[in-house]
Amino acid sequence: MGAIGYLYKRTLINRTKMALKKPVTYLYLALLLFYFLAVPASLKVVTQGTGLDSARDMAGVLTVLSFWLIPANLIAYAKRRGLVYRHSDVHFLFPAPVGPKLVLIYAHLKTLLAQVLLNLFAVVCGGVLFHVEGWRLAVYFVFSVFIENLLEAGIMLLLYGSEKLRERQRGMVIKAAYGLVVILLGMAVYMYLQEGLSMDTVSRFLHSDMIQMVPFIGWYIAAVHLLFVGATAVNVAGTVCYGLLLAAVVAAAWRMDCKGGFYEDAMKFAEDYEEVLESRRQGNVKRLGKKEKFGKARVRWRGHGASALFYRQLLEYKKSRYFIFDINTIVAVLAGAALAYLYEKEGSFGGLEPYRVFVLPVVAAYMLFIFTAFSGKWAKELKSPYTYLLPDSPFRKLMAATLMQHIQALINGCIMTVPCALVMGLTLPEALLCILFYILMSAGRLYSLAVAQIVTGSALGTTARQLVQMLLLSMAVGAAVMGAVMGMAVGGGLMALGIMDLFLGLFTMIYMVIATLNFYHIEV
Amino acid sequence: MLEVIHLSKKYGKTLAADDIGFTVPDGRIGILLGPNGAGKSTVIKSIAGLLRFKGTVRIQGQDSHTMEAKRSFAYVPELPYMYEALTVREHLEFISRAYGIPLSEEEASSLFRRFELADKQDKLGSELSKGMMQKVSICCALIVRPKVILLDEPMVGLDPAAIKELKAQILELKAQGCTVLISTHMLEMVKELWDVTFVMDKGHILGTYAREALANEDLEELYFSVTGQDRTREDGRQAWER
Repeated sequence: MGAIGYLYKRTLINRTKMALKKPVTYLYLALLLFYFLAVPASLKVVTQGTGLDSARDMAGVLTVLSFWLIPANLIAYAKRRGLVYRHSDVHFLFPAPVGPKLVLIYAHLKTLLAQVLLNLFAVVCGGVLFHVEGWRLAVYFVFSVFIENLLEAGIMLLLYGSEKLRERQRGMVIKAAYGLVVILLGMAVYMYLQEGLSMDTVSRFLHSDMIQMVPFIGWYIAAVHLLFVGATAVNVAGTVCYGLLLAAVVAAAWRMDCKGGFYEDAMKFAEDYEEVLESRRQGNVKRLGKKEKFGKARVRWRGHGASALFYRQLLEYKKSRYFIFDINTIVAVLAGAALAYLYEKEGSFGGLEPYRVFVLPVVAAYMLFIFTAFSGKWAKELKSPYTYLLPDSPFRKLMAATLMQHIQALINGCIMTVPCALVMGLTLPEALLCILFYILMSAGRLYSLAVAQIVTGSALGTTARQLVQMLLLSMAVGAAVMGAVMGMAVGGGLMALGIMDLFLGLFTMIYMVIATLNFYHIEV
Repeated sequence: MLEVIHLSKKYGKTLAADDIGFTVPDGRIGILLGPNGAGKSTVIKSIAGLLRFKGTVRIQGQDSHTMEAKRSFAYVPELPYMYEALTVREHLEFISRAYGIPLSEEEASSLFRRFELADKQDKLGSELSKGMMQKVSICCALIVRPKVILLDEPMVGLDPAAIKELKAQILELKAQGCTVLISTHMLEMVKELWDVTFVMDKGHILGTYAREALANEDLEELYFSVTGQDRTREDGRQAWER
């Protein structure tokens, strides 16, 4: 076995062994199996109800997927992206006497397992939802795993590995990929203008001969139609073109000279990728290839000791492009606007109208709950030795490190609450208590993470920490719900909001005090 | 032999290496010196084939991009990165397959003993400390039995015993006729090793100095006199005192 085969095999075996030792793997496997079976089963109701349950409709779904998957792959490879290399590949594989084409194929094969699983899922869907015969599904599986992969690998080698393609020519490939999308869109607009918008028009468009004549994407669609719908002159011709394209691409890729000129870009990509992985491990949001830009800014440093943490964070935020606004702000804006629009349009929440004061807190709790993984800037303080060396009390350090997050929560809470409160006609105390709930929930999320860190220590991984955090947060939310129920029983909405905030606040305080322990030692 | 001929490298508009040229003959140890940002890493990565560049790099007379050149070349980067899911032993096995060099049990055991890795053979890459990773990285480079070896800050992260072992290993390689190029800031560590020194700054080679030609001059004094960093440092110290 060659070096690449050995690396692939050992990595797979060792990763499987490691995964099987972790209890969370079994949870993920159970979830995966559940979705694997439950999604097709639940979609069956939809496909049967709409009458979209034939092999022809499966061809339609695959046609839609090809509209964005094929151009997206072309663009990624032309930009020398889309293949994942790690630092270890740069260290050991790139300088080794392994053919650069093989190095490219190795990265492409990393996604093979996922591709096989996805195609199996497509086969299950084909059988359950679209009642496609077994032999057609078997041919589709072989076609998608082998033929499609072969063509994609050939294109990847030609675009990613080519040393003759200059930046300008790469740009032209990207433009050509967008051009294909524009042609397809143009055809869709033409059909819309001719026939108007209806399900029939969409169906006729997806199965039309004209899209099967579009180079590459259309030829793939033709092959899919030949398999699932049956032979027509156009889809046979398209399939032949697809075959010729495959032969040409594979031959060109085979003959192409590649000395490893792509290593520089792959190394840069590996650096970005590792940065993103590290950032996600720390609970931050970072997008691949998007370097954060910092402007110039100044702050007036006040106080001493732990205050330095607050002013350093303020300086960082001022240098940051979006200041203290992040994904939570976007979600708050969208949720606030959507709720206000819905209420304005419908005039009430229907059967939930008596409980309308709880709508905002429930939405806020849900939002903050699903974004528990994003811990923000303050969590970095726990990783820095300087935090522990500062001559100040752990409690003051905790307050200074998290103050900016509370200000952020106040602003986000106001953004979400004010428009809704105006539209829904909430009283000022009710609106203020809703904002307070947002702040407390946000603080609870933050301190529960710190408590989870104490509980799990450094021995357990991120997943275990997040599970503990969610458990702690659930307890706090549970207490808040109990408070709301008690308040409603005793004195109505305002009282319920007040007791809800009080209970949530108590839990947050408890978590805050425990979280202080994190600031005694760098590792608990 | 390692030959670097008219090597130039630009990052955007920044010229990181400008017409660099030097040769390290067989059985000689070359040292690449220079302050931070001098362009050493660019030169090293270009030689290792990780960067696109203008010019030529020859390893044992072959263009560095050829498989023949790569087979006789080993590289120890400044920061070692392991495959998280491969054990130490599997790293060596992988490299032996990649270079097509059979690795006997005795060879592997001997290397592990020399670098105190015998009890770490079954540890995964993700379980190793920085120092251990550096040792594995060095072992992987040595099993290649290179004709040319490139070491980028190889002593960083190593314990004193490993540094001593590495120095002995480098001298053994030299005795076997291997060409060694070391990029380092730790002048003390290489003062008994070097045969020829290349001092770089701002993307240029400021000077090439053979040990024989500098009978009495200390490497540190030579470095500071060529780069002028001593003067800058002295000015800084006086300003601080004021």
